[in-house]
Amino acid sequence: MTGLHSRFLATTALCLMASSVSAADLGAVDEPIKLAINEWTGQHISTHIAGRMLEAAGYKVEYVTAGYQNMWEAMAEGELHAAVEVWASNVPDTWHQLHDAGKLEDVGALGLEAREGFVYPAHVAELCPGLPAYEALKDCAALFATPETLPEGRLVDYPGEWGTPGADRSAALGLGFKAIPAGSEGALIAEIRASVERKTPLVAVFWQPHWAMSAFDLHFVALPEGTDACYADPAAGPNPDVTGDCDFLPTRVFKATWPGVKDKWPAAHEILSNLTLSTEMQQPMMGAVDVDGKDVGAVTDAWLAANEAIWRPVVEAATK
Amino acid sequence: MLRTLPPARLAAVLTLACGAICLMLAPVAPWVTKWPAGWTLPATEWIGAIVTAGLEAVKPAARLMADLLDYPMGWATWALTALPYPATIAATVALGLYLGGWRMASGGLAGLGFVLASGYWQPGMNTLALVVVSVPLALFAGAAIGIAAYERPRLRRPVQTCLDVMQTVPTFAYLTPLLVLFGFGPVVGLIASAIYAAPPMARNVLLGLERVEPDIREAAVMAGTTRRQQLFLIELPAAKRQIMVGVNQTIMAALSMVIIAAVIGGFDDIGWAVLLTMRKADFGNSLISGMVIVIFAVVIDRLSAALADDRPGTRLYGAFIILLAGFALSFLVGGLLPPAGDLALFNGLAAATDARLGAFTAAYGPALDALRNGAMFYGLLPLRIGLDQAVLPMTWGVQWTPLASAALFAAAGLAAAGLLWRGRFGWAVALLLATGIVETGIVDLPWPFVLFAAGAMGWVGGGPRLAGFALAMLMPILLMGLWAPAMLSLYLSGAAVIACALVGGALGLASAASPALWRVVLPVCDFLQTIPMFVFLIPVLMFFQIGEFSAFLAICAYAVVPMIRYTRHGLVSTPDEMIEAAVASGATGWQTFREVRAPYAVPQILLGLNQTILYAFSMLVIAALIGTTDLGQQIYLALGQGDVGLGLAAGAAMVMLALLADRLLQAFAAAQKAALGL
Repeated sequence: MTGLHSRFLATTALCLMASSVSAADLGAVDEPIKLAINEWTGQHISTHIAGRMLEAAGYKVEYVTAGYQNMWEAMAEGELHAAVEVWASNVPDTWHQLHDAGKLEDVGALGLEAREGFVYPAHVAELCPGLPAYEALKDCAALFATPETLPEGRLVDYPGEWGTPGADRSAALGLGFKAIPAGSEGALIAEIRASVERKTPLVAVFWQPHWAMSAFDLHFVALPEGTDACYADPAAGPNPDVTGDCDFLPTRVFKATWPGVKDKWPAAHEILSNLTLSTEMQQPMMGAVDVDGKDVGAVTDAWLAANEAIWRPVVEAATK
Repeated sequence: MLRTLPPARLAAVLTLACGAICLMLAPVAPWVTKWPAGWTLPATEWIGAIVTAGLEAVKPAARLMADLLDYPMGWATWALTALPYPATIAATVALGLYLGGWRMASGGLAGLGFVLASGYWQPGMNTLALVVVSVPLALFAGAAIGIAAYERPRLRRPVQTCLDVMQTVPTFAYLTPLLVLFGFGPVVGLIASAIYAAPPMARNVLLGLERVEPDIREAAVMAGTTRRQQLFLIELPAAKRQIMVGVNQTIMAALSMVIIAAVIGGFDDIGWAVLLTMRKADFGNSLISGMVIVIFAVVIDRLSAALADDRPGTRLYGAFIILLAGFALSFLVGGLLPPAGDLALFNGLAAATDARLGAFTAAYGPALDALRNGAMFYGLLPLRIGLDQAVLPMTWGVQWTPLASAALFAAAGLAAAGLLWRGRFGWAVALLLATGIVETGIVDLPWPFVLFAAGAMGWVGGGPRLAGFALAMLMPILLMGLWAPAMLSLYLSGAAVIACALVGGALGLASAASPALWRVVLPVCDFLQTIPMFVFLIPVLMFFQIGEFSAFLAICAYAVVPMIRYTRHGLVSTPDEMIEAAVASGATGWQTFREVRAPYAVPQILLGLNQTILYAFSMLVIAALIGTTDLGQQIYLALGQGDVGLGLAAGAAMVMLALLADRLLQAFAAAQKAALGL
């Protein structure tokens, strides 16, 4: 455990050294910087850590709850100032439109290693031997069938507005599964819970870091490796006729700000640009909040107190 | 021979013929069942462009309005969050005591005590601040609309349509424009909630005023009052009972919309807590946070109902002492009390509820599956895709064949001939049409047939105007390319409306007959109408998984309530004189019911049915969170893509279907009423 821990320190320190290190003006310290709080715990943790770092630099911070789908217009108008954890996989198109128009700024990757894929609860491996290899799904398709998907198997896909990655891959790989959109994250979790409680078969599209991965003992299906070539060239991957017949590419998780942050709070802009947080750091805090029921503020404060060496230099580089 | 038929019969025969031709054409002409993509206009792009340009024009005015509303909202938030909780609770209890006696006082105490103990006091007060502003806004706007429509009969029709639109277009469909217009934060939620909550008030004010006894009105005229005096001093008080139904429904609707404020975000309210717990599928906590909303609704509703009663306030001194004690407690020893957010007495209860839900799912999994599969195989699937596709060896145990279709049609034809011979023309046609629909499935119905049938029904029910209306409602859906999701929506909400009308009507009838039952049903209705439906999605999903049966149940849970309420209210609100007259002339209980109460209740029951239809369509968006693929889902897709045009087009398509269903129904009901001489 300590070995793992010191490895984070080393990687983080490297990240920090690589980034631009120059002191900047604090700017309008009397006006609060509004950080968006979205609907998931990991984001709360990232945001609270960013908020504490800004406070350490001498800023006032306000946490504003905001719907992830609907907040971008408000951020483009400067009513919200930053979102610390934005997932490229499910960010609405509004973000792209506003970003392309120069009304929102992308201030770099957060450093979370996000992985998406097809998952199944542990007990499903007993029902469909051969998992995690994806070929096993072809043989077990009938096992996963429901009234709506007969005779194909049922694959629970992302909610419609996040895209249809499950349907695309099922078709490209010829798995014989019909993808059913989940409708919402809550619906996905309820499906997984019901499957675990009842020991029924289930394959769903899911992602990590997410508390449910460990809480429900979810495993990824081993799809053919996702490469850029697979998405560009039909010849790559098992199906010679189509592209995209492979696993997801890693998802980029990044930080976004209102473009005015740079001029109004230059040092804050630098802190937000250089802030990083790895999956290994975030995951235990997520567990403490979602599984143990602790308060987000308390968990992040404890982490900040114990890991000053990681975050303090980022603040100092921007302010001194 | 056709010339000699009455118009209704002619229309029915032609509709049948059209259906038969479409059925025969379908195999050779695919455009009959599927609207060709090439015929679709880029209407969603046009709508998007026009609306975006229009929004910029009205934005300054909208922003000004949002800024103005920020003040009362800010004051209310400040007052409710700054006030220590003993003082808030004491004030509510004192008000309850003054208005409604000890019963109401203890109800208020229990309700707010629950909120405090749940640990959701602060978010709860934020929500209450929003409601305290949005409910009066909605009541005032609704009353103004209702009175205007009553005073100017020419306005009634457009006003009705406008109210239907306000109630049916899901907020999610115009969320993006709303955010562009009004900015960000709780005020947008407030406006959305007021838009949705005003129509029930307007409708009930109008209905109440229309039903004021003519002799009351005449007495006022003879007393020499001005029109204004007559309205405010005589007619509105006389309509009070009906108006209070509106007040109740407006409060319920406003509270059911606080979840939208949370979806937008901007402040930490109870809806946000519901959203977070829903996202984790944490049923225990989402139920408790949802209960906070229900409690607010019930307390506000009962207090406002007591306020409207003419009884003078009682126990003024007692109320005053409680108020004083509450304030004294909070200012003298306030520091010693635990902070409001620290209490979380129900954590164990929430965990236990959640565990029980899991255990129930595990224990009754096969039975629940059987229930769902039964409903799907024998009810919903045939309705959606027709017997020809739903009957498979894997579902019914046999394979549907063209021969089976032929046999089915032959049997239906024979039965229809039998009915015809007995002079039951309407039933014969209905039987044939129903057979055709069940054989083909609503989703696969040829669009020319749907257009023709809707037009014909409109013609028979309301003449050429209604026929034109029907076509005007359906053609845009085709042209916008939303026909397939629209037919899915029609099927899903149609199935839900039928179920709700039967179950809700029966429950309303039983509740009217038995006050004891009503005491049980009323809180359930309040609960179903105000608890955010998100909360129910969790158990429904755990029991029945993602799919149409879950969506159907979710829609029914919400849409059944108006049917129960209005049916009961209509049946119990028969004027005493009418009952006395019936009893005096020797009518038995059953005769009084059938000849007096039921006919008198018809307008209210129809209003209930109207509300059930509108609620069913408005729930489609929530049902989309369970993963349906109908218009509701299109709205989320539009939100994800930032596509203003698609969102509005899908919302508009929903309204068009709901309006069409409602207008056709009302036209036939009016014809029926006229036939009964009511």
